Amino acid sequence: MENFIQAFTQADAAYINVYQQILRYCAPLLVGALLFLCIKPLLTFRREPEIWAWLVLEDQRRLPITHWESVIGRNKRSDVVINMPAISRNHAVLTRYDDGSWTIADAGSKAGVLVNGERVDIAALEPEDVIDIAGVKMKLLPISRRQEIKLAFLRTKGAHPLSSLANVLLLTLIQVLVCCSYLLTVNEAHALTVFWGFAGIAISQWALLIFYFVIRKPSFEVETIAFLLCTMGMAAIAAVRPGEAMKQLIAMFMGLALFLGVGWSLRDLERAKKIRYIAAAAGIGFLLITLLFGREYHGAKNWLVIGGMSFQPSELSKMCFVFVGASTMDRIVNRRNLILFIGYTLAICGCLAVMNDFGTALIFFIAFLLIAYMRSGSVGTLALACTSLGFAGVIALKIAPHAMRRFSSWRHIWEDPLGAGYQQTRALMCIASGGLFGMGAGRGWMKNVFAADSDVVIATLAEEWGLLIVLMLISCILALGLFAVRSAAVQRSSFFAIGGCTAAGILLVQAIFNALGTVDVLPLTGVTFPFVSNGGSSMIGAWGLLAFVKAADTRQSASFAVRQSKEGRPDDE
Amino acid sequence: MNKVVSRAKIMLVLVLILAAGTLFFVGEYVFKAETWVMHAGSPHVYNKNAGSGLITDRDGILLLDTTVDRVYTDNEVLRKAIIHWLGDRQGNISAPLLSHYADKVANFNLVSGVYNYGGIGGQVTLSLSAKLQMAALEAMGDKKGTLAVYNYKTGEILCAVSTPAFDPDNLPDIAGDTTGQWSGAYVNRFMKSAYIPGSIFKIVTAAAALETIPDIQQQTFTCNGETVYNELAGDKVTCLSNHGKISFQEALTYSCNCAFAQIADQLGGETLQRYAQQFKIAESISFDGMTTVTGNVTAAGEAPVMVAWSAIGQHKDMINPCRYLTFMGAIAGGGVGVEPHLVNEISGGSWKSYAAKSVSTGRLMSVDTALKLQKMMRANVENYYGDENFAGLTVCAKSGTAEVGGGKKPNTLFCGFATDEEYPLAFIVVVEEGESGRRTCIPILKQVLTACKEAMSS
Repeated sequence: MENFIQAFTQADAAYINVYQQILRYCAPLLVGALLFLCIKPLLTFRREPEIWAWLVLEDQRRLPITHWESVIGRNKRSDVVINMPAISRNHAVLTRYDDGSWTIADAGSKAGVLVNGERVDIAALEPEDVIDIAGVKMKLLPISRRQEIKLAFLRTKGAHPLSSLANVLLLTLIQVLVCCSYLLTVNEAHALTVFWGFAGIAISQWALLIFYFVIRKPSFEVETIAFLLCTMGMAAIAAVRPGEAMKQLIAMFMGLALFLGVGWSLRDLERAKKIRYIAAAAGIGFLLITLLFGREYHGAKNWLVIGGMSFQPSELSKMCFVFVGASTMDRIVNRRNLILFIGYTLAICGCLAVMNDFGTALIFFIAFLLIAYMRSGSVGTLALACTSLGFAGVIALKIAPHAMRRFSSWRHIWEDPLGAGYQQTRALMCIASGGLFGMGAGRGWMKNVFAADSDVVIATLAEEWGLLIVLMLISCILALGLFAVRSAAVQRSSFFAIGGCTAAGILLVQAIFNALGTVDVLPLTGVTFPFVSNGGSSMIGAWGLLAFVKAADTRQSASFAVRQSKEGRPDDE
Repeated sequence: MNKVVSRAKIMLVLVLILAAGTLFFVGEYVFKAETWVMHAGSPHVYNKNAGSGLITDRDGILLLDTTVDRVYTDNEVLRKAIIHWLGDRQGNISAPLLSHYADKVANFNLVSGVYNYGGIGGQVTLSLSAKLQMAALEAMGDKKGTLAVYNYKTGEILCAVSTPAFDPDNLPDIAGDTTGQWSGAYVNRFMKSAYIPGSIFKIVTAAAALETIPDIQQQTFTCNGETVYNELAGDKVTCLSNHGKISFQEALTYSCNCAFAQIADQLGGETLQRYAQQFKIAESISFDGMTTVTGNVTAAGEAPVMVAWSAIGQHKDMINPCRYLTFMGAIAGGGVGVEPHLVNEISGGSWKSYAAKSVSTGRLMSVDTALKLQKMMRANVENYYGDENFAGLTVCAKSGTAEVGGGKKPNTLFCGFATDEEYPLAFIVVVEEGESGRRTCIPILKQVLTACKEAMSS
């Protein structure tokens, strides 16, 4: 092994030059091809409505039920619109469960919901049960098992195993090439660490793919994107702090474990709803522990040091916040749940205010706005707006003075290139120096700048690998965001729609603040770029968030985090 | 569900922000990247205020590598010989040409940035020859002054040294020096010194006379060792010897002050001043990001004795060696010269980003005058300096010995050019506190011209 590594570190300069000259054009080509293959299916899958049941009215009119959670009401945008004065705007919620059973719940209507003549808050529906909503009588007629199988058959399939395999092979090729270029240039003392850093990513992606093949959920696009981002993050570490490659790799392993864990818990909505409470406790718990035992670095008390390892627990709180914010339809239409969520948000907001963690506060704030917007019906809007105002106020009063210094140099970095604008002016100089194709691995200068592998990591990558690659990394996050929006339409539960969108939203916000902050389009806030920035907690948190995105992948047999009815041919009986 | 689904589109705002922000940045990159990359402190472009790359002599011999740090050539003599052009690490001697061409060395473009194959910066090829530079430094020995040779057809400076010169890799204690050994060690005398020209200025006066006095070449002058202007006030011009009856040609060859005083009388201060201006004698000259100091000629409106002193290169006359070298080039070039330069070409990335072009001085004097001056300066060598002293070149020249006062020995100067087709060289030598232009400068020049001829014929 050592001989193998030595062969690289002691390679002749002439070979290195030729290798880098070729790779600088090949790398964007390969990464571009891989992203095309991964992103295209995520953004083009069909989203045709699927009919899961019929509401049969007295006059034998049939109203199709196209979601697992459907609001019946007078509101034009209800899933089932019954426009009669006695019916409330959001009257009742029909919910389908994994086992095919249905319930109906009263959504706080004036007239109430009657099942077989009895007023109920929530009731399981048996066949032939008569539902009475403000005098409108109807029966629920679920589709048959045979029709269900047919639906599954017609649904857009997840990726073919061969295409996943091809993508991972391509990704591995990229990893080999990137790894080699660092082995050729890195200090000999770090060569082995760097090698294992890249090898570790490759091994874990293959292990995960094989696991997916075994459980017959072979779609790997989302994961491939994440592993690619991790690979480029490892490249930045190899360039800046090669000694930390192992640390980041271990964080990625932990992130993967969290990804599988969260994905598994999301697989069963009932289970997920229970885990929500644990997540809620953990989310605020992380922050409280940091408050009590945390250490202050660079003005923000957001670090926890345990046994020489430092953590930023707020990174994990983000994921917990998504758990708490996501909600099923029957709860969304209920005011009480909204108030709980607002209360929870205020508590989080209080912790962050004390911690002086501006970047994280901003991310929570935007996540809160996202969730608030998606959840709020007409009822909650006002309360939500008030909360957001309060949140913003706290940020402004408590946290902003500390952050104002960053803002003061925003769009004025060239006026103080050696002071407040140092990081960003160096970043722009180095990005420009690298051009579209980069200076070559290990030939960057950004490593001399503070946080070159985290806060301004995209400058480090642009300098060594070129602007094209960085634009592709940004489009990875864009793709995840677009995918979350697209897939919201075919979610079984609003829980997954909100969860997937908020998680992708947080990834987007982080990319926005990190990438645009580095290049002075926005103020520099010290937020990490998901999967790319060096930082264990950030890496773990990003994988946790990715689980929500994965759980929103409803293509047939695509996602381990989505439970689907047994597959079969349409003629099975 | 419908509501949640449609509200999920709020996410598109974030997608749009990221996409729009990125596009905005790409736009900024297109329009501003060059400014960013050329901004002071840009790490791949500047290296401690120098461009990042290799600086070689005209034959590709490495003089300085600024890719990572300042690494000078490993030849000690050469290090000393180039110090006044390429600077030291402490910034006591600046190297304007390195920062001046930083953009050419970096050779930025939007696609490739400042990428260079192999991670090495650009390459600056100087017109200097390392070999000649060392020969010049060794010829100057421990004398202070400057010596330069340039090709008056192309403008390339082949060698230009300034002494005393020190080794940047082995710094002497210049600040603590009390012997005067290192005085002016930080000054590039070729560019940044102005000297009293003494008799080499007679070329200017002779040129003015040739242009304005039709029978000047037929005139004879009488030298009694001095020309008196005002006995009472002691206003007179003295000569080194009593030349007796002397022709215009002989007056130049033997540098007769009395004869030139009489020529100055005929010219008048205004005319002398006008021609000094026309020949640009006192103007500074700029090339490769560097500018020489200006010289001085004050003849117009002065008393006749002062005009006379000015005509023989004393009074308030000051010349910069580089400017005067260019003047020599103009005479050699038949009245039109080529301005000197030090950087021949620059390549950055895979492309040549700069190639020197010869810049004409414009016509300074008529062809006729230039040819007559050539003939006269040629006669100086043939009849006085001795052809054997110039390595077999056909040299036209004039010596000068300038009194500087203050009990110091005079500054000695020697300037001229070779008219050989294959050796179009103009030269200037200044040695501070020497014996005389002829005795001090010619032996030094001989060594350098021998080296030049050898280098150019091989």
